[in-house]
Amino acid sequence: MTPYLGRLVGKKDLGTDIKLLQVELVEPNGKARFADYRPGQFAFVSALGIGEAPFGIASTPSGNGLLEFGIAKVGSVTAALHSLEVGEIVGVRGPLGNGFPMDEMKDKNICVLGGGIGGAPLRPVIRDILDQRSDYGHLTILWAARNPSLLVFTDEYDLWRSAPNTELHVTVDEGDEEWKAAGGNEGLITQLLETIAPSPENAVTITCGPPAMLHFVTLTLHELGFSLDQMWTTLEARMHCGICKCGRCNMGDKFVCTDGPVFRQDEVAGFLETYL
Amino acid sequence: MKYISREALQTWLDRLANDVTLIAPRLVDDILLYQSVSSAREIVLDYTRPKMSAKEVVLPSSEPILFVEKRGQEVSLTEPSSGAQIIFGLRPCDAHGIAVLDTVFVGQEPIDLNYARRREAITLIGLSCPQMREDCFCTSMGGMPNDPTHFDVLLTEVEDGYAVNTVTDKGRTLVDHLNLEEIKGEPAEPIINETESVLAQEHWPDLFADHYWDLLAERCLECRMCAYLCPVCRCFDVQDQVTQQGISYSKYDRLRCWDSCTGTNYRVVAGGHNPRATKGQRLRNRFFCKFHYFPVEYDHSGCVGCGRCIEACPVNIDIVEVMRDISRAFNASQISNASPDAEKGVTA
Amino acid sequence: MTEFTLQDQIRDRAKQLLASEQVKCVIGYEHGSRGQVRPAFIHQINDVDSLVWNQGCTHNLVTYLRDIKGTFGSDEHLQRVAIIVKPCDSRALNVLLAEKQIEREHIYVIGVVCTGIVEGAGYAGQSSDKLQTRCVRCSDRVPVIYDLLVGEPTHPEITDDYVDLTELEAMPPAERAAFWLKQYERCILCYACRQVCPGCYCSTCMFERDDSLWVGIAAGVKEKEAFHLGRAYHLAARCIGCDECERVCPMELPLSLLNHKLAKEVQRLFHYCAGDEPSQSPLATMLAEGEEFPA
Repeated sequence: MTPYLGRLVGKKDLGTDIKLLQVELVEPNGKARFADYRPGQFAFVSALGIGEAPFGIASTPSGNGLLEFGIAKVGSVTAALHSLEVGEIVGVRGPLGNGFPMDEMKDKNICVLGGGIGGAPLRPVIRDILDQRSDYGHLTILWAARNPSLLVFTDEYDLWRSAPNTELHVTVDEGDEEWKAAGGNEGLITQLLETIAPSPENAVTITCGPPAMLHFVTLTLHELGFSLDQMWTTLEARMHCGICKCGRCNMGDKFVCTDGPVFRQDEVAGFLETYL
Repeated sequence: MKYISREALQTWLDRLANDVTLIAPRLVDDILLYQSVSSAREIVLDYTRPKMSAKEVVLPSSEPILFVEKRGQEVSLTEPSSGAQIIFGLRPCDAHGIAVLDTVFVGQEPIDLNYARRREAITLIGLSCPQMREDCFCTSMGGMPNDPTHFDVLLTEVEDGYAVNTVTDKGRTLVDHLNLEEIKGEPAEPIINETESVLAQEHWPDLFADHYWDLLAERCLECRMCAYLCPVCRCFDVQDQVTQQGISYSKYDRLRCWDSCTGTNYRVVAGGHNPRATKGQRLRNRFFCKFHYFPVEYDHSGCVGCGRCIEACPVNIDIVEVMRDISRAFNASQISNASPDAEKGVTA
Repeated sequence: MTEFTLQDQIRDRAKQLLASEQVKCVIGYEHGSRGQVRPAFIHQINDVDSLVWNQGCTHNLVTYLRDIKGTFGSDEHLQRVAIIVKPCDSRALNVLLAEKQIEREHIYVIGVVCTGIVEGAGYAGQSSDKLQTRCVRCSDRVPVIYDLLVGEPTHPEITDDYVDLTELEAMPPAERAAFWLKQYERCILCYACRQVCPGCYCSTCMFERDDSLWVGIAAGVKEKEAFHLGRAYHLAARCIGCDECERVCPMELPLSLLNHKLAKEVQRLFHYCAGDEPSQSPLATMLAEGEEFPA
């Protein structure tokens, strides 16, 4: 339960009340612990004096102890993290959880669906695929948010678009003037999904977003012919330890922290409790 | 059997109180609690069950798990240490509760170092119950009023003194030098209640969607008493608390404190969504945790049958009644599956 | 026995109300396990005969109306609920009505003439013939609000003598502070006192805010003191003295003394007794449109 110390080395706006925090681990122990981690794993980040909260790691292992987190301001810990100055010390505890089984997805066509801040833990998935582009099949990224100011990693769109065998589609529930003028998509991610209609043939999907989005995306994917065992998702739950002790994050007899946070939809469907 | 006289016990306890932190049943404003004592005189030996379990000795209601010191931009973290403690007069159900907590916190990787550190320095000296209270049901949960299993040493009252059962090496080091006399005979068997049958964990999911939970929860006040009195309920919350704040020097404690799944906002996630939005869902979680989730995760029930929640619940949510209702409902559903016309559900 | 008559009258009316679909549910009392009386929610006519009335009916059922919208449907589709109230409980109805937590047309009130509740009521194996302290000093034998009154009204000549406060009031401040700190020390922060209280209906208690604005999450005596004193002040001129907070406390904190003391002061200073009328507490102040806070 004791975090490693990290220094905030970078901080930039991703959207309204959403920031990307770059943390450099300062101790050799911490660097070693985070030398390798998988897309979809998470870590607790401490605003010392306020508390810690879990966040999906938004970076891929860099070898230099640099970690990135996409953090939306929704509570006291996230507000405190947002207000930190570059150079200040934070705590980092992890990596925790199972992560996405990237090996199982090799040679498959992959559809990544991110909603709002849910895009943050998907960024390492996209990076991982782009870094080893030939290992995977076609990559379809569906990126959505309630409004344009909540879309994350917009500065990486060009990188994603220009990658071979990769397509990016973006939509917002409600666009502003600028968005409309530029002819951007408006509508829910499920509508976009219906339009793009990726083929379920040799394909998997990876979804992260708010509970209602997960629910309806699952239904739409099902209509498109995807079976539950082709759909992967990462779930959010309130938690305080990340090591299945605090009892907080259970969904039925599963703990989101150690049994997840990544689950296949057929597993989720078998849970006694739902995330809705 | 090994035997210790009442007088010798008093002398021994006085010495223990002098050497380490001795925790024992003691009256605090007429309420019996496991609390630290400074001499044997303070210890109550004739009692049924302290109001609170001994959980708070191994998992305090609020404890620092990390000390943070900040000097300018330099931060140092220190983990708390823990001294030797002996719990004397622990009832078998409470020792059983600690054993279940051990399974949760140190029985599975990754272990909880904070718990492990404290627990290692704790010795359990038990006192058998001569009989069960009306609301006790330890025998239904795999325990016995004189079960030595989870103790280091267990005493059982006999004429003029106590039979001493040394269970572990930790207990032996404590007892060996007392040169206890060996006498003939065995302590009397305790008087036990009729055993309740507990529905096997694998059948509980059949009743997950039953309307029963909503009806049961109607009268639930959503306080946390049952969880806080429970020897097994272990949910906690973590937050930092500022203990000193200055421009160049600050100190914080990272605290972990008890929490309970019956609380309204227990499961609320950032952004406000509550996946366990109804009282029925929350109360159901409490019982499923004990009788299904715990058995699945830890191969052990999350209830030891101490009966505290039964005694204390101000609106008579009675765990034994729930166990009976659920067993009855399951049996009824088995019958109704055989004959489709029969009524279904607990409430039928 | 009058009690049988009262019980029969309650059941009869409950049946009528449910049969005519005037109410969706009747909140009353039933026999529970181990000889206890407990709150009951009767939805069907067939279950009406489990309703009981006796001197063990200690619970203030008004607390279950706090979240009437959440429990019994949304704003638009709120269905009427019948509730059985003792005179003390009925005054809690007035508090909730005044504070716009419930609407009169959403409840059907079965008021019961009460001669007092016995000590140990609501728990197993502890019932005695002795009346609860609050009942001994209670002069309200008739509910202040009802649609149906059950029982023969009596008006005994009893005035509250506040004798339970004598000892505490005689203590020098330091001794009194020490007394209370010792009590708070035992508190386990289970919040049963708050949860059982009809007057404590905030959806997030100020003492449990995630941002720890007022108290942290530590279970220290300072936090406990802040909680209990804060709660007492929030209930000043609103607490109707049902003493359910004290009854439910697993650590037996004498919480009624805090509330009773404040009730005494409110009576002395404002000649106001919470719940007598559906009126706002004299301690609740608000600025009218255009009014400014005096400098």
